Amino acid sequence: MPALRGSLTYSRFFIDTEQGEVPDDFREKYMRAIRLRAMKPLEAHDDDLERCGWCKLAEPFELELHYDDVFCNEYVALGFRTDRWQIPGPMLKARVREAEAAYLEKKGREKLGRKERTELKESVARKLRKETAPQTRMVDLVWSMNEGIVRFFSHADKAAGNMTELFHKTFGLRLVAEAPYTLATRLGLTKPQEAAWQEIEISVLAKEAS
Amino acid sequence: MEVFERIELRRFVGRELLLWLWFESEVFEGTLATKPHGSFGLWLEGRLVLSAGQEVTTIKGTIPGQHREAKEALLRGKMPDLASLHISWADHDATLTLKAETLAISGLKLPRKEPDAAPTGEGTTAPPRRAPRRRAAPAEAAAELAAHEANEDLYERMRVTREIEGIVEALYRDFLALRLGPAWSELVMPALEAWTLGEDVDSDDYGTARTKALAAAGKGSPRK
Repeated sequence: MPALRGSLTYSRFFIDTEQGEVPDDFREKYMRAIRLRAMKPLEAHDDDLERCGWCKLAEPFELELHYDDVFCNEYVALGFRTDRWQIPGPMLKARVREAEAAYLEKKGREKLGRKERTELKESVARKLRKETAPQTRMVDLVWSMNEGIVRFFSHADKAAGNMTELFHKTFGLRLVAEAPYTLATRLGLTKPQEAAWQEIEISVLAKEAS
Repeated sequence: MEVFERIELRRFVGRELLLWLWFESEVFEGTLATKPHGSFGLWLEGRLVLSAGQEVTTIKGTIPGQHREAKEALLRGKMPDLASLHISWADHDATLTLKAETLAISGLKLPRKEPDAAPTGEGTTAPPRRAPRRRAAPAEAAAELAAHEANEDLYERMRVTREIEGIVEALYRDFLALRLGPAWSELVMPALEAWTLGEDVDSDDYGTARTKALAAAGKGSPRK
């Protein structure tokens, strides 16, 4: 989801200042933290089936991050990359079946144990990973430090969940997803309004309800 | 009530915001106003989705709010899930779709970039400038120029995005002042009910009462 071209689709998250604050020397600290959490591409022999990390904004394969790539005035701009192995189910099934048949023939047996079956499946999946490439996805992220708002250019819940986790690991800050209540509090509710918020009920316009 | 409950149990407020924007844009014939922005154009354009539980009504068209099914859906108890809005302000036009329960934005089409347009957004500083390097190789210079342009693009796009969000937030602030005060049941709900039933709502009367209500809530926004 691009921040730099076309129309913009994004969700807003704001920094929960009760859980932590941006340090004074944030640029150096954050640069080190970002490099530490930069994307490490998935390899066939890795145990992980999915991995997330930072990359350059709009450049999923640009993993060597420089200061100028990340800081743009009051903005921190990053790409949130996710690699995932996605081997088609029918292909995996067929190859496992072949491998099982070959194994049984070699051993001169008729049945496989549960452990053997699991190990064979894992071995076949590993081989298949060597023949394919992991699926790579990237979502742009722009953190407006003046506002304490992160704009994440996706509406996908799973991606947002993984991003907020990585964001916390990287910057030590918690993100809260925007909602009518969170925006209301940020705009400033008076005490009577805060009390009214707790009491309000859904307005009903329906006249045909029976 | 825990914070979690204040968030999760009150997501319907976002639906009511969309309903109110739809209603006011029709009553005031597409010209709304807020204190910080003055008058600007706002109307529903493109898509309107209403739902109640599993039942969903999707209306597409130039002015989806004026389709017969739209108000029929309201009368059947449905409320807006998302609405595409057209915002016209200070010689700029933008369209976006606002999702009620998360206030997430999709398909935000920014105004076309004007050459030599100077940034005027509140709280913003000058676009980033990078000190020219001495005797950069041609390829290096081209890469540096591309990076500089990307930074300027990002800066400009974020500036306009924040400007648009500022309009939506100012409207939300006014909506909250009405929604969380006596004006909602005394003024807005009767007008909403009449409008939903296809009855005329006197825009002058409603506008005057609305201005008074906002002033009383301490968050007045002058109507034209």
